[in-house]
Amino acid sequence: MKVRAVEIGAGLVLLVLLLFWFGRAYGLAQLNLLFTYALAGLGVVIILGHAGQTVLGQGAFVALGAYAQALLVATGLTPLLALPLAAGAGALGGVLASLPAARLGGLYFGMSTFAFALLVEELLRRWESLTGGAAGLMVKGFSIAGWRLEQAGEQAAFSLLLLLGAIALCRRMLASALGRSWQAVREDEAAAAACGVDAVRAKIGAFALGGGVSGLAGGLYAHWIAYLSPEQFGLRLSFELLILAFLGGVRRLGGVLWGAALVVALPQAIALLRDQLPGEWTRAAGFELFVFGAAVVAVVLLRRPPA
Amino acid sequence: MNCKMMRKLLTVCAMFAALPLTAVTTPAVAAAPGVSADEIVIGHVSDLSGPIALLGTPLRDGLLMRFDEANANGGVYGRKLRLVVEDAAYDPRRGVLATRKLIERDRAFAFIATTGTPVVMATMPLVLEAGRLHLFPFSPHEATYTPLHPLKFQNFAPYQDYMAAAARHMISRGNYQRSCLLYQDDEYGQEVMRGVEQGLETVGRELVARTSYKRGALDLSSQVARLRAADCDLVVLATVVRETVAAVTEARRQGWQVDMLVTASGYSAQTHELGGEALEGLYGVSVLPHPYREGASLALAEWIAAYQARYKAAPNVWSVMGYTLADLFVRAAMAAGPEPDAESFARALENLSPQSDIFGSPPYRFSAEDHLGNRRGRLAQIRDGRWQLLSDYLD
Repeated sequence: MKVRAVEIGAGLVLLVLLLFWFGRAYGLAQLNLLFTYALAGLGVVIILGHAGQTVLGQGAFVALGAYAQALLVATGLTPLLALPLAAGAGALGGVLASLPAARLGGLYFGMSTFAFALLVEELLRRWESLTGGAAGLMVKGFSIAGWRLEQAGEQAAFSLLLLLGAIALCRRMLASALGRSWQAVREDEAAAAACGVDAVRAKIGAFALGGGVSGLAGGLYAHWIAYLSPEQFGLRLSFELLILAFLGGVRRLGGVLWGAALVVALPQAIALLRDQLPGEWTRAAGFELFVFGAAVVAVVLLRRPPA
Repeated sequence: MNCKMMRKLLTVCAMFAALPLTAVTTPAVAAAPGVSADEIVIGHVSDLSGPIALLGTPLRDGLLMRFDEANANGGVYGRKLRLVVEDAAYDPRRGVLATRKLIERDRAFAFIATTGTPVVMATMPLVLEAGRLHLFPFSPHEATYTPLHPLKFQNFAPYQDYMAAAARHMISRGNYQRSCLLYQDDEYGQEVMRGVEQGLETVGRELVARTSYKRGALDLSSQVARLRAADCDLVVLATVVRETVAAVTEARRQGWQVDMLVTASGYSAQTHELGGEALEGLYGVSVLPHPYREGASLALAEWIAAYQARYKAAPNVWSVMGYTLADLFVRAAMAAGPEPDAESFARALENLSPQSDIFGSPPYRFSAEDHLGNRRGRLAQIRDGRWQLLSDYLD
């Protein structure tokens, strides 16, 4: 309880810092992307943290959601109605990526998800008539019944709403029979199978939910960035989402907010600090990346996660 | 209440009293974001740690050098030019955040040379919506200059345009019968392909074979073997520096002495420095000559020395590009008058008369109907370990 109070307090301080230090509109834009990334990272928490399945290609589910959203909106569907379908595209991707789980386990299965991400990226690049290929795809702004979400504050509020909804859904799923089967499979797959748990079904379920929430995040991302191209969803994104989940606590649904704060807002905070520092060396190429890397290592060491 | 406290209170009161006065007496300062009494803020979203950092760093250095020179000469109507650099590392998410920072916190008057197509495409709408100038982005995407927008300007020749001219020129020069293409599997490669096809079509030819590679791939042996099997007598390379070296070296290793032509992305001193003798004879397209110290004019030699003294590194074509872009900015800012805003700056740029410079840059021309400053390139070849220009700017 004490830990939670400290976390809420720290979160509020972070929020105030974001809004006042970064500037209101800039801080809200940061928050918007922070919530969107947290939503994408929630998928990793479900698949890796709760179902115990190594996933190295989560970015592919975000990509499927983003492209599905962009293409559906381009056909004239309203963005709000397209969002569930974008989540569906992510979920379908999750189911497809989980199919090798029937035969593979551990790191080998993780490698198959990695290959799945490569396949999706390649597909987006090759299917030019649909995706625009390497030239990319422009995406219209988000609107609900004619009301365009143009202000960063409106966008952040909408992303937060979806994030909270997704966390509530995940919490509910974790308490269900399927959710308990994920935990059983995570702890000991053979023992779970001996107790009658269908491990393959459990894994497919985890990937469908994890892929779905990441796909939903992709749907939002498409509107916030407004331009999609295959390289945005490369392995770098998948690894960022992994880092996000680990930093926030791989089994904590709410932890994704902390992970996203580190992955999204920290580099910007470093950029602002750099502006205040004297000397040319702070302007050197890679300075922010170096400080970011050091900060992430420090956070991992200080957190000392349970074994 | 003692005297000290009274004084403090009076000071605070005086400050508050002065606030409305300040607002009344300095209306022009608030007119254009990023333009204050002392400075003009220019934003630059670069790639200093991503896949094209090799290009981003000298580009930034060239920009800084020219702005500092202008500042040393009194600035623009007394205002210093301050370049705020953000590293987006070719990542559109970081680009968007950096752009918002530059718009809202630094209140950048203009954005110059945003680097990388995904970053440019994600950030350009934000910049234009905020009413800021979007100048000379480092991206071949035609959206950077079409449709015409009062605030967006581009001066990098599109690959398609100059490669069409270069392919046509090469065919008439060497009477090649079987032209082939090795291209990077992205928008860059696609655009070069369109240009080469267009150029060949005008002389009644077509591509005999084409093969692609994924960005970053350095083993191009199978691609080269495939082109060799197609019996090509000219291979156009839509490659960047390392891939150019890999492709030419591999062809020579296989004993294939075919003529090759690389785009401006492979026109770099690093190409012959990395490849050495194997790269001799490689043709390339130059949209801006490399600043070699040997044979340089006195003015260029002085510039090279100043650059080296400042950065402890030799300048390259990207440094020159940064410098010339900043120079265009300075000239347009001067022409825009003592109280510039985005509108007057854009009109000044449209009416700027083309100038020759010490580098041999193409004459950049903008007009009210056309915001693309250059469409042409020159043919060059590596001879005796350096690029030598073979033609004037090709139409």
